Amino acid sequence: MLPVGRRWAALPLITPAIALQSLFFFLPLFMILLVSFTSRDSFFFSPLYTFDNYVKMFRIYRIDFQNTFFLAGMAGLIDIIIGYPFAYILLRKVTRFADVFRAILIIPLFGELYIAYGLLYLILPGGPVSRLLDALGISPLDVLYSAPMAIFGMSLYTLPFVVYNIGISLQGIDRSYEEAARCLGASRLKTFLRVTLPLSLPGIITGWLTSFGWNLGTFAIPVLLGGPILGTRVLANQIWTTSLVTSDFGMGAAIGVMVVAITMVVFYIVVKLSRGVLV
Amino acid sequence: MGRSIYERLSPILSYLYLILVCTAILLPLSITLYRAIVVSKPDGSITISLQSYTMISEAFWDKVLVNISISLLTVLIDVAVAVPVAYALVKYEFKAKRLIFTYLNGVWYVPGISYGLALVLSYYFVYKFLLGFWGFVVAYSTGFMLLALLTAIVAFRNLDPVYEEAARCLGAGRLKTFFKVTLPLVGPGITAGVVLILVLSLNEFITALLLSGPTRVKTAPLQVFSDIRHAGIQPFVAAEATVLQLVSLAIVILYLKFFGTKYLRGAIMI
Repeated sequence: MLPVGRRWAALPLITPAIALQSLFFFLPLFMILLVSFTSRDSFFFSPLYTFDNYVKMFRIYRIDFQNTFFLAGMAGLIDIIIGYPFAYILLRKVTRFADVFRAILIIPLFGELYIAYGLLYLILPGGPVSRLLDALGISPLDVLYSAPMAIFGMSLYTLPFVVYNIGISLQGIDRSYEEAARCLGASRLKTFLRVTLPLSLPGIITGWLTSFGWNLGTFAIPVLLGGPILGTRVLANQIWTTSLVTSDFGMGAAIGVMVVAITMVVFYIVVKLSRGVLV
Repeated sequence: MGRSIYERLSPILSYLYLILVCTAILLPLSITLYRAIVVSKPDGSITISLQSYTMISEAFWDKVLVNISISLLTVLIDVAVAVPVAYALVKYEFKAKRLIFTYLNGVWYVPGISYGLALVLSYYFVYKFLLGFWGFVVAYSTGFMLLALLTAIVAFRNLDPVYEEAARCLGAGRLKTFFKVTLPLVGPGITAGVVLILVLSLNEFITALLLSGPTRVKTAPLQVFSDIRHAGIQPFVAAEATVLQLVSLAIVILYLKFFGTKYLRGAIMI
């Protein structure tokens, strides 16, 4: 390490990044907080400061909070159920083609819009699934535009993050614990249930929280797949419509701040639980 | 001795499971592609044609180019800004390291919808500048900086200091050592961040939706979204939706061909 006299030498190296984040993240964040305490669009003319937005928010938009929490929570749960075996198998059971499976996990990062659109085609009237449903005697419209479809889309969207979180915690397990359990006569299943699963619990929790946090802000999946009732009543859609469509900036900002506050808490726990993320 | 049923079945079931999940992941893209290129005739026969791509408007291709320029500029800014920070965080000793790191990464944990609204409220309605093209560049470079920073930190950490020490001993200056020795050695590690930023910024949708709100400047994903809403499920919309996905896929495949998964592991891969 460098002598004490040079410790300020790092300053010019970090200044540009600090400036970028201050100007284009923290300043706007402060601004949205200010706007959230003003009534309607008054902020831009003569600000009328009020707490009304926060008081009214939970009354008017209670259903949107419920819907969003339900969809995001369920998607996280599905992700854990699908993602845990995926991470476990990828790390422990396979060697050939492992990189191919890793690479495929990048595809959901292309974005929720494309996931929503692809699934929209799948369940469209006249599409492959609707024919199957017709044959089974189920009306396709009950399945398209419904909560399960939106949850399926959201869980596809966040699966990579869940697999990553669980994988990291599986990698951190000292294999000698499992070997000891096996040597002492525990069956494979018992070893997994009593040793591996409890040790990877932090990964399960951080995985669920990460998925939940990301899905709080999803817009295209619920709007395109959730249908006219469920899909429009999610937080992301309300932020967009109240602020930029109906110009109630105060309320839009208040919901936006609320979503930020919730995700901040969620990711704070994630960072605390995961084994020290770098630095 | 015969192997137990578990040992015989386990690999088969493992691969079956991975393939099943990967099929689900690939489902949206493959269906969209199918609708874009497969045409079913009234007589029931099926042909593959690229006709739907010729029906994409000129304006959309322009937006694709705009999108690519935005992404390239984003990558450039992020690397230029994040690599020095990573170098400082790894090589220098100073106070509040953890705090600075958290400060620089905060944006990653804020949903795009709120971030987009915050940017529009301050920069469009209050300061009335940075609209359109440069607004996107600034928003994306701020939002995705973490990826460049994380991968650069990992790269600097993995760098054996003996190379730099040797260069310094042989008389190279601090700056020369950095550009001639350090940077070429950590370069490949930084590429992981570059490819992630490229792919994410090419397809960024929700922040862009808010940013473009009042300005009417659109990126390609926004055009796809508005076409989905107005033109619905026509083949040309499916074709539009595949364009940037295929570009991103090509970038990822090319990257993996050259560098493999080793630099991506620990960043987003296990």
